[in-house]
Amino acid sequence: MRRLIRKLCFAIVCAALPALSQKVAIHAPSSVSAGSSLAITTTGSGSATLYLIGPSRVRKQSIKLGQQVEISGQDVAASGNYRAVTCDSEGCVSAVFQVLPAKPTRLAFMLHPSRVPVSTPKAVNGTALVSDRYHNTVIAPTKVDFHLSLGGESSTRSVQSVRGIAWFEIGSRPKQGALQVVASVDDTAEPRVIQQVAAEACGLRMSAAPSGHLVKLQTDPIRDCAGNPLPDGTIVSFTKTDAAGKSTVDTPIKKEKATAQFEVSGPAHISVACGVVVGNELTLGGRP
Amino acid sequence: MRKPLLLLGGLLLVLGCLTWIFQARWPIVDVQAASLPKVVLSAESLAPRPIEQRTGEAVTHDYAQAWQDLADGLDTNRTDLLGDYFTGEAKVRFTQRIKEQRNTGLRTRYQDNGHHVKAVFYSVDGGEMQLEDEVQLEVQVFDGQKMIYTSNSPQKYLVLMTPGSDRWYVRCLESVPEETF
Repeated sequence: MRRLIRKLCFAIVCAALPALSQKVAIHAPSSVSAGSSLAITTTGSGSATLYLIGPSRVRKQSIKLGQQVEISGQDVAASGNYRAVTCDSEGCVSAVFQVLPAKPTRLAFMLHPSRVPVSTPKAVNGTALVSDRYHNTVIAPTKVDFHLSLGGESSTRSVQSVRGIAWFEIGSRPKQGALQVVASVDDTAEPRVIQQVAAEACGLRMSAAPSGHLVKLQTDPIRDCAGNPLPDGTIVSFTKTDAAGKSTVDTPIKKEKATAQFEVSGPAHISVACGVVVGNELTLGGRP
Repeated sequence: MRKPLLLLGGLLLVLGCLTWIFQARWPIVDVQAASLPKVVLSAESLAPRPIEQRTGEAVTHDYAQAWQDLADGLDTNRTDLLGDYFTGEAKVRFTQRIKEQRNTGLRTRYQDNGHHVKAVFYSVDGGEMQLEDEVQLEVQVFDGQKMIYTSNSPQKYLVLMTPGSDRWYVRCLESVPEETF
């Protein structure tokens, strides 16, 4: 009977020895997609502490060695290097894995400038940053569409992102108005608007209506060379030179025209200007 | 006659003291500057906009300062150290990391052995700059006084920096796989 018990004990010890002598090890998948759950496995026996150290998360928990530990997607939402470390009384072992960005679902889109004159080369530029739902930069090349529309005209240009960035640069359109640019990736779209305004005045002309000592001045409709009317509020300067000296009136455009009134004494010389553009000159009452 | 001489003597003494103070002060600034991680910036392949020399110097300095702040923050578990050179997603992530380190009793020590930074994108309007960074980083993680993890290997980071009123901010700082660049 004793012999039998001894043999039984020996057999049990022999069976348990491999398990007792098994070294602690930790295994994690080499890479996972951001926000996807994963399993970390350990070998060995007994209790230990598991640490998960990532770019934005740190997790510490007690575990039983030899069991699988589930890591939730929320713990690996930020892309980058992660370290899974297991420590028991004997020491620590670790595994490194990479969390890769998930599929693109977000766009940060910057469009410049907010206001631009028409028909200006390389005047409009846009930059789109492609990221996943967890704000990780999507490194894989992604097609970003930039859809431009102004009035009834529209066009689309597709740009492949490089390291999460897609950009374009174009000239402004010849017609004034709101230029809408929509950057899109799959179902995600980010619209932005640029106001295209008339360029400098073209063929600036004024006419005068003298009335006694007064002279009323009025410009023709003020437009740029493409026929776009300059916006109301644009300043037009009338300058008069006569025996009383030189005086200037700055007046805003109202409904495409600018008007001014001067009191003149004797012969007078009047000029008109808008921005960098000089218009016609008038001489009243003979040569000044 | 004596009064002007005394005045002159006093003036010289004050000037001497000021000179001594400035001479003593600047080396400290230099030492502080020298204590920043080494960052070497190259911008040969930068597009679509070239970088001005002053901008390159500012980016280099501010990026080095950001890493210094990050290392100090992770070592001391102080989130307030991230306020000067981090913004946006980078600030959110590292703030959360430090808070969770503090809650779990962990801290991380970086031995920063230098960055080789390549500026690869600078937007036309000057609003964004992307960098590729290869850094030799020794990382030690402690739980209390016990070191639970150590590594010393090259790592790659993809960085997005954006300008502020007087400096460049790190907006994204993401470690990326070896084959990314």
